[in-house]
Amino acid sequence: MEINICHLYPDLLNVYGDVGNILILKHRAELRGIKVNIVNVSMGDIFDAANYDIVFFGGGQDYEQAIVSPDLIKFKKTSMEEYIESGKVFLAICGGYQLLGKYYTTPDGEKLDGLGILDIYTEGGDKRFIGNTIIHNEVFDETYVGFENHSGRTYINDLLPLGKVKVGYGNNGEDGYEGCIYKNTFCTYFHGSLLSKNPELADRILTLALNNKYNEVALTSLDDSLEIKAKEFIINRETSK
Amino acid sequence: MKLSKLLFQGGTNFPGKIALMLDKNILKTVAANYEVILITGTNGKTTTTSMIYSIVKDSNKPVITNNTGANMYTGIVACFILNYSFKKSMEKKIAVIEVDEANLKFVTEYITPSIITITNLFRDQMDRYGEVYTTLRKILIGIAKVEATTLLLNGDESLFGNLNVKNDIVYYGFSTKVNDNKIVDINADAKFCTICKSPYEYNFITYNHLGDFYCTGCGYKRPDLTYSVDKIIDLNTSGSSVHINHKEYYINQPGTYNIYNALCAYSVAKLLGIKDATIEHSLKTVASSFGRQETLNIEGIEVKIILVKNPAGYDEAVNTINLDKSKINLSLLLNDNYADGKDISWIWDVNFERLTSLNINKIMISGIRMYDMAIRLKVAGFSSDSFLLCSDEEALLNEIKTCNGETVYILATYTAMINLRKFLHTKGYINKLW
Repeated sequence: MEINICHLYPDLLNVYGDVGNILILKHRAELRGIKVNIVNVSMGDIFDAANYDIVFFGGGQDYEQAIVSPDLIKFKKTSMEEYIESGKVFLAICGGYQLLGKYYTTPDGEKLDGLGILDIYTEGGDKRFIGNTIIHNEVFDETYVGFENHSGRTYINDLLPLGKVKVGYGNNGEDGYEGCIYKNTFCTYFHGSLLSKNPELADRILTLALNNKYNEVALTSLDDSLEIKAKEFIINRETSK
Repeated sequence: MKLSKLLFQGGTNFPGKIALMLDKNILKTVAANYEVILITGTNGKTTTTSMIYSIVKDSNKPVITNNTGANMYTGIVACFILNYSFKKSMEKKIAVIEVDEANLKFVTEYITPSIITITNLFRDQMDRYGEVYTTLRKILIGIAKVEATTLLLNGDESLFGNLNVKNDIVYYGFSTKVNDNKIVDINADAKFCTICKSPYEYNFITYNHLGDFYCTGCGYKRPDLTYSVDKIIDLNTSGSSVHINHKEYYINQPGTYNIYNALCAYSVAKLLGIKDATIEHSLKTVASSFGRQETLNIEGIEVKIILVKNPAGYDEAVNTINLDKSKINLSLLLNDNYADGKDISWIWDVNFERLTSLNINKIMISGIRMYDMAIRLKVAGFSSDSFLLCSDEEALLNEIKTCNGETVYILATYTAMINLRKFLHTKGYINKLW
């Protein structure tokens, strides 16, 4: 088996260690004998929905996000919409998450157009939401931990959240939700890297991508003892404060 | 020992806080008799400050410095107070002061330095400092208050070539390549033109995004260099031999980043009119600052401690260790206290994959976030079966002691390094704590 991972703007949206998610997906796939190809797609490149099984879109600085916004709309919008609507797997973090929505207003008041594929929007806020975060996803009954660092307040309307906030701020510090899920698109503010301490989510993403491509794939289990200890450390420390 | 140091174990902010409560303008008074040189930037501040201090000291000029890492406003006030004398002296003394990027504006409110130098700007502890552009803005607010100050800037840093300031600017940098790399790493910082947002091209890259850059979009390019490294003679794990402005110097701290630190110190010294022979002697003999490639001897085992705090610095440490072809041991310490940065995500931006080709005996992992570090190394390609997870300094020391004579490289974040040094001090392996 083989999967193709598209890394969107790795040269621009890359400051929070989010590239770790790609390294982790590759690592976990290769341990199961699955070949992984990583394709970087950036400025001026055409996005071809048919070529990829997983798309990853990471977080960046406002300066770089302002460079990315018009390029997305000019070169990638239609095909990316088709990709997401067809149920293919997409993981978007922080800046990437914001750009999938209708718009993002920076703290300086600059309004950046998003792709508008998801019915969500983001407003800049004065106070940055920074810290370790713990959420619980009720559908999967899984707990995820990560580190959030954002001034944007994202409102997800009727979409399902990635989880309910147990510790931290989440999407906007108001409604108690973090991230969102639409079809097989997963959005979150979690850095950490996200998948470093949430191996069940990493395998969910791999399984969905493989099922889309090969039908009924079951992944063998891996030794996740380090990942579980890292997660438990955060949960124990942050909930005992 | 000075009282405040005794009471606060090296925390040198306390007298500054008290003094500021008594007189908020006190910095102006206590620094009046000094020619001040300020050093700021993301990486290399402490080492550069210590190099400048050594050179000035070797030139027999009276000089003070805040070399304990007290680089916040209150720490700087404290430094001047501790050195304050009520006797009026005719001779101006020199103060070589490291200052945190966000604190520069508080210092320049009361002091007009003769020189401000900025080493570089990299992504650094995103939870504390934020984006490189934000950091630059903070520095420029500080500079705007002192238009008479000469700016001594790293010309290879593309963020420094197009500054809207009234100050005189002198640039230093590399006029020769250190390797054949012309392609900027996809994960480096500030790769897009500050003027027109096109991607930069490079005649050569020294490390990360530093180098001889130019923009094909608008013609912006690296400014002319007054002081430059024009020949590389040798790079090894203990130091580098290079030519600066056509004269040979040996820098006794390894790595390209330390060549930049030495070049910056050299440039300050030239601006101060110090002789080449003095600079040469100082760069050859300057002791490393604590935890900056500091070498210890533990039961006959050579132990090198390297402070790591962001991807650019960590990658440079990895590159330096890569020069070592003998059998080595690695000890990686990751904490997430405030001073380390509470977000440890940045370890995923460090190229640990480069270490997998080395001849490594033991891998010891410790610190508050040791499991995260272990996961990072596992994904980089190391077998997790071989990891030695050390829950405290005692366990780590026991592992180090049984390392069979090969060098142990300890890469530690700030508080992990401080705590380890304190522990080794109590065990008698470090004489001087600060």
